[in-house]
Amino acid sequence: MNEYFLLIFLPVVAGILLFIVPDRLKPVKGIFTVLVTAVTLILAIIVYSYKSSKFGPGNLLPGFLLPSTLNPSIESFFTFQSDALARLIVLFISLFGFLIAVYSLAFRGTGSVRHYFPWFLITLGCSYGAVLADNLLVFIAFWGALGITLYKLVQGESEAGSATAKKTLILIGASDSIMIVGIAILWKLTGTLNMSEIQVSTGNAIACTAFIALLIGSFTKAGAFPFHSWVPDYAKDAPASSSAFLPASLDKLLGIYFLARILTGLFFPGELMTLLLLVTGTATIITAVMMALVQHNYKRLLGYHAVSQVGYMILGLSLGSFIGIAAGLFHMVNHALYKSGLFLSAGAIEQNTGKTEIEDLGGLSKAMPVTFAAALIFAMSISGIPPLNGFASKWMIYQAIIDFGAGAGPANKLWFIWLALAVLGSALTLASFIKFLGGIFMGRRKDEFEGIREVPVLMWLPLSVIALFCVGFGILATGVIVPRIFMPVTGTFEFSGLWSAGTASLMILISIIAGVLVYLATGIKRFRTSDSFIGGEKFYDKAAYPAPEFYKTFSEFRFFRVLYKKAEEKWFDIYDLSRNAVLWFSHLLSDTHNGILSSYVLWVFAGLIIMLIIML
Amino acid sequence: MAVYLFYLIVFPGLLFSAVTGAFLSWFDRKITARVQFRKGPPLLQPFYDFFKLLLVKETILPKKGSPMMFLLAPVLAVAGAALASVFILLPLFNISSGFKGDLIVIFYLLTIPSFSYIIGSLASGNPLAAVGGSREMKLIMSYESTFLLFLAGIIVKASGNFNLYSVISIQQNTTPFIGSVSGILLFIVGIFCIQAKLGLVPFDMAEAETEITEGTFIEYSGPPYAMIKLAKYIMLFILPSFLAALLLNGFTLKGINILWAVLKIAGVVLLLTLIRNTNPRLKIKQAVSFFMIWMNLLAVIAIVLAYLGY
Repeated sequence: MNEYFLLIFLPVVAGILLFIVPDRLKPVKGIFTVLVTAVTLILAIIVYSYKSSKFGPGNLLPGFLLPSTLNPSIESFFTFQSDALARLIVLFISLFGFLIAVYSLAFRGTGSVRHYFPWFLITLGCSYGAVLADNLLVFIAFWGALGITLYKLVQGESEAGSATAKKTLILIGASDSIMIVGIAILWKLTGTLNMSEIQVSTGNAIACTAFIALLIGSFTKAGAFPFHSWVPDYAKDAPASSSAFLPASLDKLLGIYFLARILTGLFFPGELMTLLLLVTGTATIITAVMMALVQHNYKRLLGYHAVSQVGYMILGLSLGSFIGIAAGLFHMVNHALYKSGLFLSAGAIEQNTGKTEIEDLGGLSKAMPVTFAAALIFAMSISGIPPLNGFASKWMIYQAIIDFGAGAGPANKLWFIWLALAVLGSALTLASFIKFLGGIFMGRRKDEFEGIREVPVLMWLPLSVIALFCVGFGILATGVIVPRIFMPVTGTFEFSGLWSAGTASLMILISIIAGVLVYLATGIKRFRTSDSFIGGEKFYDKAAYPAPEFYKTFSEFRFFRVLYKKAEEKWFDIYDLSRNAVLWFSHLLSDTHNGILSSYVLWVFAGLIIMLIIML
Repeated sequence: MAVYLFYLIVFPGLLFSAVTGAFLSWFDRKITARVQFRKGPPLLQPFYDFFKLLLVKETILPKKGSPMMFLLAPVLAVAGAALASVFILLPLFNISSGFKGDLIVIFYLLTIPSFSYIIGSLASGNPLAAVGGSREMKLIMSYESTFLLFLAGIIVKASGNFNLYSVISIQQNTTPFIGSVSGILLFIVGIFCIQAKLGLVPFDMAEAETEITEGTFIEYSGPPYAMIKLAKYIMLFILPSFLAALLLNGFTLKGINILWAVLKIAGVVLLLTLIRNTNPRLKIKQAVSFFMIWMNLLAVIAIVLAYLGY
C-alpha cells in the first residue's frame, strides 16, 4: 500500500521542501517538479492495475511514522479507499500534472506567481488525497487545502489579479463551509463519515438539504451555474498554466468525481432532485456559452467554456443510467484534455504576442503551425466534430438522454428539451470557437506579427501530446476507451446508438489523403498567390471584419440585449449578489449605531426583554 | 476493408451521390430557368462546371491568409459529406453490412461541410468572406436546435429508436410517418432546415452573390472550388434522401417502386427549388427568429402531437 502513501505525500513533502529553494533557481525547481510529477505518473500507472481496497493509516504509513499505540477511534477516521473510479481519476490527475509541469518549464507566465512550483506540487498531492480519502473529514481537509493552493497560483501583485484571487478564495471557501454543514447532517443521519458506508435516499427534507449542500461544494469546484463566476475571472487573470492545471483539468476531475460519488454512492437522488440537476446542467451549458460568445479576451472566453462544458457532465451523471454516468465521466476526461490544451495554447499565444484581446491578433497560423494545429484539434473536439473525443462523449450523453426519455417521470418526458438545449449549446460552442480560431490564427495576417516564431519545444510538445490524446480517445472511443476504462467504473452496458468510430475515422483520413492527392495531381503548379479581392477596393484596416464582431446580431435582439446588460452589471454573479446582500445587511446594522445615547439605551432594554422572554 | 472503401468512394458514397447530386443540381437549375421563362442548361452542365474548375482553372491562394487551411477546408467538407452519405444511403438501400452511424452521428456529420466552409472563408483573410462565414455560423446556430427537435420528433414517432435502419423498417411495416398531423408538421420543419443547410434562397445570406459576391467562397477558384461544388452536389442529394428516409418510408428497390424512390427525391428537390424561386433573401436576424421561435414552436407542437398519437 505504500504506493498510495507516496502518491499523496511525495508531492506535498517535495513541495514544502521547494519553498526553501530561492526563486532565483527557478529552472532547478522546475526540473525537480517535473521529476516528482514523472514519479507520481509512474506510480499512478502502477496503482491503476491494483484491486479495489480500503485501508487505514496502518496500511498507508510506513512503520517508523506510526505511533506504537494508536487510538482505535482515530484509526476509524483515517480511512482511505481506492476503487475503480478513484484510480481512474488519480491516473488522469497524474497525466495532467506531468504534462503541465513540463509546459511550465518554458512558460514565462509563471514568473509572476511567487512559489509557483511548490504550490503546484502541493496541489497535486492534495488532489490525490481528496480522491483517495474515504472518510469525509479527511476528504474535506484535502479539498479545503486545494482552495488555498488555487488562491496561491494566481499572481497577487496586480489589482485585478488580487481581486480575482480574493473572489476565488471566498467562493470556494464559502462552498466548503456549506459542504461541512452537509457532512454534519450526513453524520447525524447515518452515524458514520465513511463514504463507502453511506447510502441515503433524498426522500425527506433533511436528506435533501445534505444532498444540496454537498452538491454546492461539487458545483463550485467544477464551476457550474450559478457558482461558476470565479472560473472566467480566474482564467483571465491567472497564468495560462495555472488555469490549465486547476479550473480546466484538476478542479473538473475532482468536482465531477465528487458529484459521481454523491450521485452513485452517498445518495439515491429522487425524481425532483434529478429534475433539479437536469435544469442546472442545461442552464450551465446555455448561460455560460452565451457569455462566451460575446467575450473579447480569449482566456476569459475559454473560462466560460470551462463552465459550459460542466453542464454536459452534470447532464450525463444525473441521468443515473450506466451509460449516462460513463458518458459524464468520459466527457469529464475529454474536457480536461481539450480545455487544458486550449489554455496551454492560449499561454503560448500570450507569451509570443503579449496580447490578450482577440481583435489585436490575427493570421498566426503560419507563424505558429504546431500551436495552431493543436488548437484546431481542441476546438473541433470541444465543438463535437466527429470523430474526435468531444464528439464521442457527447454522442454517449445524447443517447443516454434518449434512453432516459423512455422513463415515466416528468423529467423523462421532457427529454427532447434537454437534448435540444444540449445540442444548441454544442452549436454555440462551435460558434464561439470559430471566433477563437478565426480571430487568433486565421484572418488577415498583421504586419506586426511578421517576426513571430513557434514557442519552444517544451511548450509545444505537451500540447501535441494532449492533441494526440484527443484524437486517440475519439478514434478508439467505442472500441477500446469506453469498454476498457469507463465500463469497469460504472458497469457494463450496450450502446443504444451506432457509431463505428475506428472505421469511420479511417475513412475520413483516407478521404483527406485522397483530397490532398487530387490537389497534387491536378494543379499544384498552377497555384499563385494574390491579395484579397474586395470588389476592386483597396484594403484598409477599418474595412476588416474582426472576429469578436461576429455575433453582435444576437445582442441586438431585445431579449438578449437586456440579459447581456444585466450580466454586465453582475446580476447573475453569486459573488456580487451575496456581497451586496452582506453589505446591505451590515449597513442596516450600522444604522443602529447612530451615536445617540437614548437609542443605545433602547437597544439594551430591547435585548434584555428578548432575553427575559427566552429565559421564561 | 475493401468493401468499406467501396461504400465510401463508389457506392453509395462519394461517386454515386455526387453524380446523382449533379443531376439534381441540373434539375434544380432547369426548373429555375422554366420558372423564369428561360431555356436552362443542358443535362451535363454540372459536370462541365466541375471539370472545368478541376482541370482547367488556376488556383489563387490568399496572400495574407492561411493557405494550408484554405486548401484543407474543401477536402474536409467533401470528407464529411461523403461519410454522411454512406450513413444515410446504406440504410436507404437496405445494405446492412458496413460501418454504421445513428441519427446523432448523421446530424453531426452534416454540420462538417458548413463548418469547413466557415473555416475556409476565415482562412482566406478576405473581409467579405468573413462576413459570409459569420453569417453561415449564425445560420447554423439558429437552425441546429430546430433540426434536432425535428429528429427528436422522428425518434418519438419511431418509439425511441434512433438508428435509420429501424426508423425505415418501422415505417415500411406500418405507415409512413408523413401520414399523420405530426408527420406533416415535421415535414415542414424538415424542409426549411434542409433549405438552410443547403444555403438556398431565402437562407443564402452567407453567399449572397448580389451583396457580398459569394461571401464564404469569394476567394476560391480552381480545384478547391471544384471540391466545394462536389460537396454541394453530395449535400443536394443526401439531404432530400435523409428526409425521404425519415418521413417518406425510404426506398423499396423492386419493380415500380424504383420509380417511386426517384419521384420522392425529385419531389423534395422540386419543393426546395420552388421555395427558392418564390422567396427573397432573408436578413440574418429574420432567419434567426424564424428558426428560433417559429420553427422550434412548430417542432415542439409536432412532438407533443406525436406523443398523443396524432
